[in-house]
Amino acid sequence: MTDHKTGTREEWLAARLELLEAEKELTRRSDELARRRQELPWVRIDKAYRFETDEGTEFLADLFRGRSQLLIYHFMFGPDYTAGCPSCSTIADGFEGFAVHLANHDVTLSAVSRAPLAKLQAYKRRMGWTFPWASSLGGDFNFDFNVSLTEEQQRKGAVEYNYRREAAWTVRGIGDSLTKRGEGPVAEIAAMTGTDVAAYTRQRPGMSAFVLENGVVYHVYSTYARGLDGLWGMYQWLDRAPKGRNETGVWWRRHDEYANQGTSAR
Amino acid sequence: MTDQQIVGHDDWIAARGRFLAREKEFTRLREELSRERHELPWECVKKEYVFEGENGGETLAQLFGGRSQLIAYHFMYEPDWDIGCKSCSSWADNFNGIIPHLNERDMSLVATSRAPLEKLQAQAKRFGWTFKWVSCVGNDFNLDFNVWLAPRTLARGEAVYNHRSERVTGPSRPGISAFFKDDRQVFHTYSTHARGLFDLLPGGVGEWPVTAKTPSCCASR
Repeated sequence: MTDHKTGTREEWLAARLELLEAEKELTRRSDELARRRQELPWVRIDKAYRFETDEGTEFLADLFRGRSQLLIYHFMFGPDYTAGCPSCSTIADGFEGFAVHLANHDVTLSAVSRAPLAKLQAYKRRMGWTFPWASSLGGDFNFDFNVSLTEEQQRKGAVEYNYRREAAWTVRGIGDSLTKRGEGPVAEIAAMTGTDVAAYTRQRPGMSAFVLENGVVYHVYSTYARGLDGLWGMYQWLDRAPKGRNETGVWWRRHDEYANQGTSAR
Repeated sequence: MTDQQIVGHDDWIAARGRFLAREKEFTRLREELSRERHELPWECVKKEYVFEGENGGETLAQLFGGRSQLIAYHFMYEPDWDIGCKSCSSWADNFNGIIPHLNERDMSLVATSRAPLEKLQAQAKRFGWTFKWVSCVGNDFNLDFNVWLAPRTLARGEAVYNHRSERVTGPSRPGISAFFKDDRQVFHTYSTHARGLFDLLPGGVGEWPVTAKTPSCCASR
């Protein structure tokens, strides 16, 4: 028997209409943010970033694939990972399906990671994905866009992420996990990538937007951490389920690692 | 040459930092809304709905597939259409891949449409979709949850949608409805329509460089 408050259709509708006003306000806020996002100034990219892709060695301008806009998902897959980050993998399960729609609207959606291309290709096959995925190994791309850090940066606590110096977080947060060795949610996810907390957190999640005009690439936008919330499809659905996010720890796995893979849903 | 303002990295960081504060405010607002959403009262679903699925007739309670939560995506596909709504199809492209994760959180997601099962199966096959998609053509499900309007209501010009906030002219509308089931009964917990759905697309309409628009099929079917 449920202990949630229940009511008649009329009572439910009255409460729902009140919430609807608040939801509409959030929708309008979201529109306003999107407008302001497009008003951000652009930064010209002069560095010649090189990537390894299915097509061979390519530059950033090549990743646009003939379109004028490029969205890069900074997928956490470090050179020392044995498999891609499971959280990034659930995000990719979402954008795998709609990348084709963006591609037909002058936007290329591509993932970029530091692991060598062969690892990315193998993992992509395992997951059944088709979106383009480039390796930035050997270049500065991930470091310049603050989604990879060196062991030295990590040791010294000189970490810039999500537009903040994260020394305190590194020392107290990651540092704690390092000394506890293998406890806590970050350690749990690190183990799922075949690494430890230190190696796992040398990669960070994010997305960056670029535009190509007259042969020049400009950096338009980047977002990190909770800024990716809206792009993480499964959470938007869970927020509308009766129990909400309903989580106490890391419950998600890669889509081929669940015990009953959607079979009882059918 | 672009007429967008071009700046150096430091100036960009400054502008981005100011904007980040606004984005964080939005994230907090969204969380507050999620909390309010879960405080909505639930209503008991007393009517028995039977859907046509690949296992024959299935009740609403059976659509939960043994889980305690169910979200029905009201996929616009009328019996006389040759294919499902274009916008709903792009939504399906988006949720098809994340269902195993929702299942793990004790939630089933099914799509329901008024077109007959064979048509749904044909489209699912063509698009490579694996989610459960059932026909509600013989029941009042879409009518009761305000995503389908009876011809007579339409003719009288009394049709309303999105919790009575919008007047409409076409028979079919997009939406989702959420349900909870305990060992005794099914409760309706939440429904959302129109722009309320956009937040279910990763990033809503806001995160990508596109303009917010009502899908064309919603505007004029």
